[in-house]
Amino acid sequence: MATSTYLSNPVVIVNSVDLTNQCTAATLTRRFAELDATSFGDTSTKYTAGLQDNELTLTLYMSYAATETYATLSSLVGTTTTVRVQPAAPPDSATNPGLILTGAFLAELPVLNATMGELSTIDVVFRGGVFSADTTAP
Amino acid sequence: MYKIVSPRIGVPGDEFVPIAGVNLDALIAGGFIIEVGTEKPKTRKPKGDNITTDKES
Repeated sequence: MATSTYLSNPVVIVNSVDLTNQCTAATLTRRFAELDATSFGDTSTKYTAGLQDNELTLTLYMSYAATETYATLSSLVGTTTTVRVQPAAPPDSATNPGLILTGAFLAELPVLNATMGELSTIDVVFRGGVFSADTTAP
Repeated sequence: MYKIVSPRIGVPGDEFVPIAGVNLDALIAGGFIIEVGTEKPKTRKPKGDNITTDKES
């Protein structure tokens, strides 16, 4: 049964900057590389977990105003940072975990995405980093 | 020590305490925080008593 409806509650923080009011979609995928561990005697393929390969994709309105989207992201390209998303506003709890990627890499930034008569949006992808879920209020 | 400038980070004027993995250079470049209190203390010049001069004989 579908139980999660997102209206205006999720929180998006990139490099400590709150970009919640610039974000319209966020997908955080926790992933492990699958290593083939099949051996003689097995009757089906077996896998074991390799390195983590996490990814966070954000859809953001592009704004070039002071301390907005462009100012937040332009100096992060080619570097690592910490990103955090949360289903609803704090405090953290087991039912509202703060989902964090520490050391996530931003490889590219679309610096312009202009369409006549539309609000400009961009998709940015943070890859890698260590995943953690904060379930305790500070 | 860093101070918050933008309300997107926190309360302007408050000290910014970075969490693990935060890119401080990007925050400074974006105008979100400023670095304060990093000036080196000025060294005092020695007074006249300590100055020695060579005299020609």
